[in-house]
Amino acid sequence: MADRVKVGQLTASLRGLAQRFAFGLLVLAAFAVMVIGKADTIIVERVRTAVVDVATPVLNVVSRPVQSVNDALAEAHDLLELREELARLREENARLMSWQSVAQRLEAENKALRSFFTFRSGPQATFITARVVGDAGSAFVRSMLLNAGGRDGVENGQAVMTSDGLAGRITEVGDSSARVLLITDINSRIPVLVERTRDRAVLAGDNSRQPRLTLMPPGMSVEPGDRIVTSGHGGTYPAGLPVGVVASVGEKSVRVEPLVDWTRLEFVRVVDFGIEGILPATPAPAAARRQPLP
Amino acid sequence: MTPSFGQRLDRLGRQLSPFAICMLLILLSVAPLRVPVLSSAAPLLPLMAIFHFGLFRPALLPPWLVLLFGLLLDLLAGSPVGVNAVVLLMVRHFVEANQRFLVDKPFPVIWFGYALASAGAVAGIWALTSFLFWMPIDPRPAILQYLISLALYPLAAWVFGRSQSTARAA
Repeated sequence: MADRVKVGQLTASLRGLAQRFAFGLLVLAAFAVMVIGKADTIIVERVRTAVVDVATPVLNVVSRPVQSVNDALAEAHDLLELREELARLREENARLMSWQSVAQRLEAENKALRSFFTFRSGPQATFITARVVGDAGSAFVRSMLLNAGGRDGVENGQAVMTSDGLAGRITEVGDSSARVLLITDINSRIPVLVERTRDRAVLAGDNSRQPRLTLMPPGMSVEPGDRIVTSGHGGTYPAGLPVGVVASVGEKSVRVEPLVDWTRLEFVRVVDFGIEGILPATPAPAAARRQPLP
Repeated sequence: MTPSFGQRLDRLGRQLSPFAICMLLILLSVAPLRVPVLSSAAPLLPLMAIFHFGLFRPALLPPWLVLLFGLLLDLLAGSPVGVNAVVLLMVRHFVEANQRFLVDKPFPVIWFGYALASAGAVAGIWALTSFLFWMPIDPRPAILQYLISLALYPLAAWVFGRSQSTARAA
């Protein structure tokens, strides 16, 4: 009996203590989660993909009205600039027509040259089209959520592109959702080269709109307007994907304007080029499904 | 006298609304807004809601719920897990500690309180994220985000207040 009273007193005082320190305990818990997240990324990533998987259908619904507002704004903007846009498109059309003839000539030449050698063509790329359902608009991370995931064939490390150019790469894959780390994110590093000079560099994001070129070889010449494409080194991306155009060359840094129009990013293509990336997060099933290179 | 079905529904609505509004705002803050400036500096909607309901409906926003909201926000937004959780808990604590000075005061005073709390919150997120990434992050988008949120707070506070009074009137 006395024991039971003692236990009761103990639990009561413990409860009082817990209530008094509840706030401190919760803050400690949050810090603990932070430390776990830093130390063991696998557990956190698993929880994250599970939560995102659950939230994606809801986000899919929430993002639609937001999208229609965006569309209406874009349409109003377009109507205002219709005349200028028409003139610009006519000019672009004329330019593209001349490029088309060049391309046709080159294609024929290419075909002829290939017939001289036993040319081995690269692995065929496959595309998965996905809708962008999440974009945190955060000042600290640049990532997007897609409504396609592992069951659609999305895998870690795949390149994500729009019709304009490279947008980022897949970093987390859920069952029906995936996260894209954008090329502007502070953690993004892409091996690139300057198309004109073939000089190699690394395109490093810093959360600003224009990532900068780093690790440039000494004496590299780069000018505003130079096209930047992936170099294929490191094995994450195939070579030659368009990334951006050099926007400014300063003493401290060279800034690159991405080709992707971030304000009109509703659908993207997840591209599997059949390359074993540097991010084999799901090695066993991925390796089993992937066909050997021809 | 036992409460009628309508009264019970009304009470449930009032109790639910801070929870439901916070949930909705967390989802909205992750939804893709493709307005050029806002794409990197979207208003801190969940922070506004935590401040407002922490001040006026603290019983419906216990700290453990704030912790869960913070974790959910981190998981969805792709930021390092725990950052928003710590910061939102601090905001909740700040509001509780200063409730006497803020509640029942004219709106500019509350707005000033929000300006202080959110300044601390944005600085905290910036410091923690920079520390976890182990590189300095450009603070300008964060400052812009702070200012946009500060400018929008009166509108948000009005909407939150309306949601409470309609829940009471219904």
